[in-house]
Amino acid sequence: MDENLAVFIASTLRLAMPLILAAAGELVSERAGVLNLSLEGMMLTAAFFGALGSWATGSPVLGILCAVLASFVVSVVQAVLSVHWRANQLVVGIGFNILALGATTLLYRIIFGGLSREEIPGLAKLAIPGVSDLPFIGPALLQQSVLVYFGLACVVLIWWMLKSTAFGLSIRAVGDDPRAADKAGIPVARIRFQAVLIAGVMAGLAGSFLSVADINTFTENMTNGAGYLAIAAVIFGGWTVWRTLGACLLFGAATALQFQLPAIGIEMPTALLLMLPYLLALLAVAGVVGRRDPPTALTLPFIRGK
Amino acid sequence: MSTLALPAGLDRNALLKRLLQLAVPLGATAAALVIGLLLIAISGRSVADAIEAFMDGAFGSAFAIGASINRAVALALVGLGFILAFRANLTNVGGEGQIAMGGIAATAMALHGGVASLPLGPAVLLPMLAGCVAGAAWGGAAGYLKVRFGTNEVISTLLLGFIALLLVYWSVQSENLLRQPRTSSSTLPESLPIPEAAQLPALTPFDESPLHIGLAICVVAAIFTAILLSRSTYGLKLRAVGLNELAARRAGMPCNLLLISALAMAGAFGGLAGAIMIQGEQYYLKAGFSSGYGFDGLVVGLLSRGSAIGVLAGALFFGFLRSGGISMEIMAQVPAALTLVIQGLIVIAVAGSVILLEKLETR
Repeated sequence: MDENLAVFIASTLRLAMPLILAAAGELVSERAGVLNLSLEGMMLTAAFFGALGSWATGSPVLGILCAVLASFVVSVVQAVLSVHWRANQLVVGIGFNILALGATTLLYRIIFGGLSREEIPGLAKLAIPGVSDLPFIGPALLQQSVLVYFGLACVVLIWWMLKSTAFGLSIRAVGDDPRAADKAGIPVARIRFQAVLIAGVMAGLAGSFLSVADINTFTENMTNGAGYLAIAAVIFGGWTVWRTLGACLLFGAATALQFQLPAIGIEMPTALLLMLPYLLALLAVAGVVGRRDPPTALTLPFIRGK
Repeated sequence: MSTLALPAGLDRNALLKRLLQLAVPLGATAAALVIGLLLIAISGRSVADAIEAFMDGAFGSAFAIGASINRAVALALVGLGFILAFRANLTNVGGEGQIAMGGIAATAMALHGGVASLPLGPAVLLPMLAGCVAGAAWGGAAGYLKVRFGTNEVISTLLLGFIALLLVYWSVQSENLLRQPRTSSSTLPESLPIPEAAQLPALTPFDESPLHIGLAICVVAAIFTAILLSRSTYGLKLRAVGLNELAARRAGMPCNLLLISALAMAGAFGGLAGAIMIQGEQYYLKAGFSSGYGFDGLVVGLLSRGSAIGVLAGALFFGFLRSGGISMEIMAQVPAALTLVIQGLIVIAVAGSVILLEKLETR
């Protein structure tokens, strides 16, 4: 049982990690008023370019850099279209998701050919010296990929940035009341632009976690809805950092349970477990569990003087 | 004496503006298509073969045209629902889920509602009605959450959409729900095929055309939507609520009812689309049967800028694009993924060109 529990906790953290990374970035962007449905596409793009970079250079770290760069480029285009050109955020996001699915599948087949499962150089697991051999805690928490620790550090950084910096205050201001922020001299468009880029970089890390740090290969549509799940986590987390982190862990646990429950002899429809994150998020926005409201200007483009 | 006669209320400038408004999305689409052709050339396949295969699959035969139009019907219904709700300033992102709920309800009614023994009319209509009701409930739920708890409908319809997709998955995984009885280890997780009586009758007497009466239903739905939006007090009230809910409330309009009914109607159209997809072509329920039609329908609705005719045109375009893409894959070995690329580029280009339209309008 103990061993099962340790495996369960470890796999929860592993499955939650891409969500945590992507949701942390998306949280920043949504607080500024931009909802990126394209998160799914950004992650998929990053997963592919991470795998490609790692395979081509032999270095997983360079692979992650490629992933972040690719996702960053997507987020720049998303930001130009939805912030500066005031295109509908949702439609642009849907467009990017279709494009990313098509482009990564196409490039994968051209470069890697057919349906091969090419193994790529993966990121090493970092066993923290001294403590990683501790019974239970060791296998459960302290034998993770380097990216896990780095990602958690990013979450703390984002929490601090939103709460205690002028930039964070500006982000919250343009998401809640862009008109007042504009009158106070905050450059609404520029802040939103930067917030979307942060979402892009974090989605890049999240995507590369899937291909470079987790299973060391790329498969078609490997994100399989993780981007949407991260958006649900931001919603269930009520647009605050720690609740969103909690939501990601909970969603990771629900996914891990799928594989664990049969092992310990409990029958439960997988559909229900898969549905749980979306149900919880829905209950949260309906105010049934700990009501939180989205940023007032979420998805609304800002036009000065209108 | 040879001056062109213009309809009343339209002067030369207005006509020019209309044409430009049409030219912008068409230009964006053309640009995306050119990029697509370049990609085909780069990937080393014959562009001429690809175009030929595309045209063949989209327009080449009675079968191809019928199949393309059937695809367009589902897209158009979702798009019509979208512009209805959008009139009240409600963005319905849940088309995919509303299709899913419609599909589940139609399949359940067709298999277990005893329709097999009914005469042709009710046997076809009852499952469709069930689909409408299920879709309306799914859309209406988002409306209820909005008026009762102030929940943003973008978020609730999106989440309800994912829940509905998983409900389809659940329905076909469990034999207690809609999964066909397991006769061997290779029995697929799908429902039984629906009885013949519940399948949509063909629209044309030609055997080779799969075109079904969904097209007629869709045209009626489009006329209904156009009249409702531009010729009825209900449409006017929707616009009033969308522009300024507080003012509409002060003027004594039943705002809650308007908001819920707008989303419920959008949902009903989505549910109808789901029912038509099952009864018209697929004939059994399987996980993921909605395959992106809800999201494509949203795009069609948004790009139409609130016009029912625009929805029909956009739906036809995407319907033919899907058919042509499938044919390119089979006949010219162009990966289907490339069609996704082109489609994604079109959506992004057209959405991005909105700013040009805005500039036109303010000029």
